[in-house]
Amino acid sequence: MKKLLTIIKREYLTRVNSKAFIFSTLLGPIVMVAFMVVPVLIAMTETGVATRLAIVDQTGRIFDRVRESILNEAGEGSEPSWPGGHPVDIDQSSEEQARQAGRAMMGNFKIEKVDPAERAPEDVKRELNGRVRREELDSYLVIPPDVLTGRKAEYYGRNVGDFINSMRIEEGLSRAVNEQRLADTGVDQNLLREVSKRVTVNTFKVNGKTEEQDSGEAFFLVLGVGLLIFIMILLYGGTVLSAVMEEKETRIAEILFSSVRPFPLMLGKLVGVSLVAVTQFAIWGLIIAGFSVYGVSTLKGQGVDLQLPPVSVANVVYFVLFFLLGFFMYASVYAVIGSIVRTYDESQGFLMVAIVPLILSFYLVFPVVRSPASTMAFWASIVPLSSPVIMPVRIVSQTVPYWQIGLSLLLGFGAAILLTWSAARIYRIGMLMYGKRATIPEVWHWLRQA
Amino acid sequence: MTTSQTTVSLEHVTKRFDEVTAVKDLSLAVRAGRIYGLIGPNGAGKTTTIRMIVNITAPDSGGIQLFGQQQKAELQDRIGYLPEERGLYRKMRISDQLLFFAELKDFKGRRAKEAVDGWLGRMNLVEWKNKKAEALSKGMQQKIQFIAAVIHDPDLLILDEPFSGLDPINMELLKEILLEFKAAGKTIIFSTHLMELAEKICDDICLINRSQKVLEGSLRDVKRSFGRNSVSVRAEGGDGVLDDRSIVSSVKRQSNEVEALLAEGVDPQLALRRLVESGARITKFELVEPTLHDIFIEKVSGGS
Repeated sequence: MKKLLTIIKREYLTRVNSKAFIFSTLLGPIVMVAFMVVPVLIAMTETGVATRLAIVDQTGRIFDRVRESILNEAGEGSEPSWPGGHPVDIDQSSEEQARQAGRAMMGNFKIEKVDPAERAPEDVKRELNGRVRREELDSYLVIPPDVLTGRKAEYYGRNVGDFINSMRIEEGLSRAVNEQRLADTGVDQNLLREVSKRVTVNTFKVNGKTEEQDSGEAFFLVLGVGLLIFIMILLYGGTVLSAVMEEKETRIAEILFSSVRPFPLMLGKLVGVSLVAVTQFAIWGLIIAGFSVYGVSTLKGQGVDLQLPPVSVANVVYFVLFFLLGFFMYASVYAVIGSIVRTYDESQGFLMVAIVPLILSFYLVFPVVRSPASTMAFWASIVPLSSPVIMPVRIVSQTVPYWQIGLSLLLGFGAAILLTWSAARIYRIGMLMYGKRATIPEVWHWLRQA
Repeated sequence: MTTSQTTVSLEHVTKRFDEVTAVKDLSLAVRAGRIYGLIGPNGAGKTTTIRMIVNITAPDSGGIQLFGQQQKAELQDRIGYLPEERGLYRKMRISDQLLFFAELKDFKGRRAKEAVDGWLGRMNLVEWKNKKAEALSKGMQQKIQFIAAVIHDPDLLILDEPFSGLDPINMELLKEILLEFKAAGKTIIFSTHLMELAEKICDDICLINRSQKVLEGSLRDVKRSFGRNSVSVRAEGGDGVLDDRSIVSSVKRQSNEVEALLAEGVDPQLALRRLVESGARITKFELVEPTLHDIFIEKVSGGS
């Protein structure tokens, strides 16, 4: 036990004291922020340029409706239009905010009305084509006089490949036409607005004592746990592998085995590297939490009421537990790989195999969310390798009995310990044999050997 | 031999790796305070034997006793081991890794730090204390590895090919240190291919060939039992004596010397007297002891 601590201490301190650790810890948040900010910046620059659209309204009475409808397309309902932009409404649900962000990414329109007057349609088109060619205009829409009775409208433009804009124009036009048809039958304007108002559903989760509102944040948080395990494995899998192979490559293994048994050595390595990973994530977590709290309080100071997603303390504890479980489990799989192969290059093929169960678990998330009480969901949340991703999903989707959570954790850690033990065994026998890489039957044989 | 005098004893130890028998029915006893040489050709089973003594691998059958006790993991702390396959953590500072190796032997705190300084001084490596291992030359790394094996002041020191790759100066230094260890009452087991070296520093030897012990005992006894009873003679005249088959069974003539294998049961003193009586002028008459090299060659190739 004392020796285990010695091993953990060395694995932890040599890594945390390395320049690589300090750099990646400092650079990590910068890279993360860059990932979040850059796409938004790119989207923003796009919205700066409005698409100049001319509408030739041959019906002579539908232009206003079409214009409003196109500008308002993503909003779907016939809420008041926001010409030229979309004010941010803080009280909106996150769903609505997302929709607005989407709208922002689709860009704006500058719409002008072209009066066909008495001119022949061909002349109007010729003139507009000329303006498009001279880049005074991006596109134009010709609404035929009998559009209300089903005639097709025509859309001309320089960049008709921009399907997002074409779709928006098409949908905007068709809704405007529908509205016009209803209006023509004498339906009152206000009624019309009421009728086409969007419905939002608030979600509540019922558990033993209370019912709590659940607006989806919890779900995303759970996916976040899975994603964190994934990222962590991607970031630290290689570290686990090189930690396990370090003594092989530096030929220290035999010196160590003259002082310590293989199992404490292997366990010490896994725990040491895990602690390094947890340290780094904790630092990042604190930085992010610090910024969020600061950001929210600043906004509150400006009279904006923003709330951090409500998550219960119990859930946080579960998430952390399953996150650690997931990392430890997959790290032990990597340890087994590291003990089988002789060089880092040899390990590459195996690594993909190790990640497969994790990816499959992600596929399972959606069926499990839809029916968290199903037999499949139960087993997926109990069986090691998928349990660290699936169990948290079930925990937020329904009320999972404690015994199931306990069983899941027990089996998970048991499996990780068993894998670590196997890794230690394979490692030691592999070292005593040296020479070629072990084959799978050989590995199996070693494991069964007394 | 009582256990208090025996540091290591193996009794009928056998170790198999699948079909290959690495060590077969091996019994040996290493006396306390002696330098014990384990010699034998490549693949004879020396390293496997050593690994079983160090408790890296367990025998399939037979028993191993260390310091008069049944072998167990705790006893590892009293052993210092320098394997043939050895290295250092490349990115770790020298002092840190020595302290790490010491701590694994439950040797820590101030005395460990003092031991690190003491040994680095002894090996002329003080200025490398805070350098990373990758900055050191191969020879220096070897010295650090040696320090790692002895830093915790072990009662039993096991060295697998300790001299390979050392220059003559460091070889002398290492030899000196081994003799100091012996003087301090510690037991040393080492394996080597270098017969001349083994001959110089070993008290006892054990020759292993094809997984089995061929001979064991003090160097003197081994040589005596191997005595081929031959003499090296440089003389003018006396040919009649050398050709007398009742005294000399065969002669090997070199430029100005004769190596004569005496007939069985003939005392060299008798041969000398006869030579003198025959009126030969003798400038050299020397008993030829078999070297360890000779014994090795004869036992290993003779056995096959």
